[in-house]
Formats: sequence, C-alpha cells, structure tokens
Amino acid sequence: MPNAMLHVDQLRVEFVTDTGIVRAVNDISFELHEGQTLGIVGESGSGKTVANLAIMGLVPQPPGRIVSGHITFGGRNLRNLSNRDWSKIRGRQISMIFQDPMTALNPYMTIADQMREVTQRHLGHRRRTAIDHAVEMLERVGIPAASQRVFDYPHQFSGGMRQRVMIAMALSCKPEVLIADEPTTALDVTIQAQILDLMKQLQEDEGTAIIFITHDLGVVANICQDVLVMYAGRIVEQAQVGPLFRQPLHPYTLGLLKSGPRWDQRVAGQLETIDGQPPDLTQLPDGCAFAPRCPYVQDRCQRELPQLLFAGTAGGSQRGQACFHDLSTPAAGAVEEVDR
Amino acid sequence: MIRFLLKRLGWMVLTMWVVFTASFFLMRAVPGGPFDSEKKLPPVIKRNIEKRYMMDRPLLEQYWSHLWATARCDFGPSYKLEDYSVNDVIAQGFPVSASLGILAMTFALSLGLVSGVVSAVLRNSVYDVGFMVAATIGIAVPNFVLASLMIVLFVFFWPIFPAAGWGELRQIILPALCLGAPFAGYISRLTRTGMLEVLGLDYIRTAYAKGLTTREVVVHHALRGAVLPVVSYLGPATAGILTGSLVLEQIFALPGMGSHFIQAATQRDYTLAMGMVMVYTFLLFVMNTLVDLSYSMIDPRVEVD
Repeated sequence: MPNAMLHVDQLRVEFVTDTGIVRAVNDISFELHEGQTLGIVGESGSGKTVANLAIMGLVPQPPGRIVSGHITFGGRNLRNLSNRDWSKIRGRQISMIFQDPMTALNPYMTIADQMREVTQRHLGHRRRTAIDHAVEMLERVGIPAASQRVFDYPHQFSGGMRQRVMIAMALSCKPEVLIADEPTTALDVTIQAQILDLMKQLQEDEGTAIIFITHDLGVVANICQDVLVMYAGRIVEQAQVGPLFRQPLHPYTLGLLKSGPRWDQRVAGQLETIDGQPPDLTQLPDGCAFAPRCPYVQDRCQRELPQLLFAGTAGGSQRGQACFHDLSTPAAGAVEEVDR
Repeated sequence: MIRFLLKRLGWMVLTMWVVFTASFFLMRAVPGGPFDSEKKLPPVIKRNIEKRYMMDRPLLEQYWSHLWATARCDFGPSYKLEDYSVNDVIAQGFPVSASLGILAMTFALSLGLVSGVVSAVLRNSVYDVGFMVAATIGIAVPNFVLASLMIVLFVFFWPIFPAAGWGELRQIILPALCLGAPFAGYISRLTRTGMLEVLGLDYIRTAYAKGLTTREVVVHHALRGAVLPVVSYLGPATAGILTGSLVLEQIFALPGMGSHFIQAATQRDYTLAMGMVMVYTFLLFVMNTLVDLSYSMIDPRVEVD
C-alpha cells in the first residue's frame, strides 16, 4: 500500500454564530494515498465541505475555528502555516474545484487572466508561456478552439464548459491532491457523465489523488475507490466502494442506499426515506446523532457515542463503522479500536 | 459604440431642449423682472431698455429667438452685468468651478475608495470603525458648517491655508476638501459594502484556492466588482458637487460660476441664469454618459446600447 500523503487526525471545526456554536466537523480522521480517489458522502450540513475547506486552510475565521486536530500533508502540519506558506501549497500542491461553476469563476476577468495567475505564481511562467500553458490545459479538458476561447469571459461559456475550465485551472500546476466539492451537482446529467469521465482520465494520466465530495451515491459508485460516509460532522462508515454498496454496516448508509432507485431492482410504490431531520449542529446529543432517526436504535445509543471501529483490513483499505448495532450479524469480524 | 454615442447625442439635444423650455417659461412665470427695482424707472426709459432686450415682443417670439441663439451656443448679453456677455461670464468662471469640482471629486474618490477597501478587508478593526465614524460625520455635517470649522482650524488656529481667494494652489485645497468630504464619506461606505459583498462570493474563494495572496485577491479580483456601486453613484455625485460648489464658492470667495448662478436667479437675469442651467445640464449629461460607458468597461457582461 502506498504511503499516505495526507493525514487528517481528530479534526474538529466549529462556527460561532448568534444561535450558538455550530459543531460542523467533530473529530474526523482519515488518510489519502497517492492516486487514490476518496469519496466523501453525506447530506447538506454533514460537514464534508467544511472538513475539506479546513484542509485548504479556507475555513473563514471568524466565524469558523479549528478547535483541535492535525492535518498533515507531506510531513508538514498544515494547521499553523502562515498565509505565505499557504499560498505556496494552495493551487500548487492541493487544488480545489467548487460546486457551482457559474459563480466560481470571476466574471470580470478573461479565462486567460484567471488561468495564468496560477502558473505565473507557482511555476514562474512568463505571461506568454502561461497563456500557452492555459491553452494546452483547456485543450486537454476538451474545450474546442481553446486558443481563441481562452480570451473569452466566463459568461461566454456554458455551465459544463466552465466546470471544464475550473478543472483545467485546478490541474494546471499538476497538484498532488485535488479536492472536488460536488463538481457535478450543478450540471445536468449528460454533462455530469462527461465531467466524471474527464476527471477519471486526467487522474489516470497524472496520478493525482482526488477527494470527491458528493451527496450522489451514483457518482461515488462511478468514480471512487474508497468512501467515507459522514453524518452530523462525524464519519459513520468507511469502506471500499464495492463492500459499501453490497453490505452497508451503518444504518444511515443503509437508509441512503435504500432511498435511491436501482437499475437492478423494480420499485413498487414509493422509494424508502429516512424519517426525521438531520440534527441541529448547535445541540448535538451525547449519544449517536443518528439515533432519533435510526430504525435499529437501542438504549445505549442515546447515552454513549459509538466510535468509528475498524474490522480488519479488506483489500488494502480498512473498513469501519460507528454503530452499536451489527448489521452484518452472522459474520461480524473481530472489532478493534481505532489506533493512530 | 458609435451607435451608442450617437443615440446619447440625440438624447442630449432633446434633454437640453426640454430643460431650456422649462427654464425659459418658469423664469418668466416668476413675478418680477430683470429691470424692476425699488426706484421706479421712468416709463420711457424702461420701454427703451425692454426694446433693446426684445422684451416688448410676444413671449413666443422671444422664446424662438433665444432658442435659436442658444442652439448656436450664444447666450446673449447679461442683463445685469453690464458689458459682459453670458459667454464671457462662463468663460471666466468655468475654469475655476471645474478645477474646484475635479479636485473635490479626486479627493472624494481617492479617500473614499482607499478607506472603504481598508475598512472591508480589516472589518471590525480600529481602522474600520474609525473610517466609518469619519464617513458618517462627513455625510452628516453640511458643507458650510464644515467650511467654517476648517477656516477656524486651518486659517486662524493653525494658519497653513489662506482664508479665501483664487490664484494659487493653496487657495483651492480647503474649499475642495470641504466640497469633497461628504462624497468621500458616501463613496467610502459604498466601497466598504460592495467590497464585503464581493469578498463573500464564490470566485473570491476560488482565487484564494489558487494560492493568491490577500493583496492580489483584493486588488485583482475583488476591487472591480466592489467599485460598481461607486461608479453608478458618480452621476448623482457630480450633481451634488455642482450644487455644493455654489455654496463653497460663496464662502471662500472664489470667482467661479456658482455665485453668478445664485445672483442671476435672484435678480432675474434671464440670460445668465439660462446659460448656467444649460452648462450644468450639459455637464451632468456628459458625466452620466461616462458612467454608463465605464460600466461596460468594468463589467464585460454589460453591453452599451
């Protein structure tokens, strides 16, 4: 197994608001390896975006604050970096693509200007080289007539094309990690498929590790190798894609899977739903945050917080779940405490 | 672009005609005339004077005659300032008023933009609070009060500026500061609000994610969007500066157009008042056109039409 390039260890992020302290990310830990595609799944407000903004050092502070935990990248602790050191990492070693390509590009600047900023800063390109490089990147992500279109403004591109531009911009310095925050959510389905194919292909070419944040399980199945399922700021399940879809170990994951249609099953009547609402992040319960909505809830769940426990390693990556109930009843493996 | 300018030119002619017509009849509808005075003139003399200035003709005939002259940019003789044509008065006063206005606007823009950006970037800091308090005071205090205060401070208490007059640079600084102060305040507030709004947008986060420094993000990415409200304010601000300069020219005894405007209005100097109205209309129209043009230059999504 290749070495982990990015470690997130017991990360906790909070936001101070008028209505109380929003505990957006609560003690999450994970690793990212070279060339890996890690999916992070969860509904809105489950902390997936905030966790990744923390990796980029982009959590707005205030109102946000990183309470505890470590983020280690290439042996460096990212938590106490100066702004100057951050700007050497952002865009160069860790890049990010955002959800809405319609608003993520600056409407007042040409694509050429927005793209050359990156390589002029990080690769020391001169203006001419930087523009040539931008054209080359745009061609690689499939923008037709890139050498002319590079001088266009964002509003002259369609949504899918803008997301391609974002990808080209994010990859223009060959970063080691690419964080894709719901990059296909704002696009229609055919464009989604094109963008996913493009990302897969670019990853094969460059070996970039990708953290893919999404709430779309179909997308996860398509592109990711490993998946983290988040709920109320915690990781509730961690698994490889195959096992996760075959046999989810956490009731929340099971609920998510059941609530989507599947091509290999006929659905009679309505799809299943997970009853209730996600918890108020300002008043998280002592026990499991999913307990009020959980069909398998026990007394213990209300009092005690289930930890993310790992049941051995399957195929090189660990499988873990944070639930007292054992969904895989007949063959529960030896359970060991997380120890990093 | 050419089409836009031609269209604007057409609108300008129309606007100036409407303003001319309204001013012409309004001025004459107001009781009193240019040659009324406390001492009654002998009727013969009054008739002679009125004949000289065509005032014995029917109103409509006067209107057409004045309109035709105005169209050729000839506003005729002043009724009150003997031996001066209105064009002479404008030629003498305009450079003074224009320098005052331009200097005030420059001051308002530079101070307003810088303090607004600083306040937004360092929001809730000492600078932010200080600038915003200063801006509120600048907006709230009328310019004649500010002018008196400045004169007390910088002419008598700490004599670094002359109290009044015209001719050297030192003499224009104080009036320009007083004239520009409220506009600096407004621009500062507008810039701060605009900047805060833009700094919260997605594309600013993208810019940070690219590894740009705060300075680069603010200057290259945020400023353009943030100044748009300021640009649209420049039209009304010009109007404000024009009217504000009427007051300040009086206080600082500047030989600009403002004092003539006021006197022309109170003394029913029809031709001089009309000349002033036309000049101000023209200035405002040009300024608003420039604002519209700069809008399309700042924001590529806006096309001039």
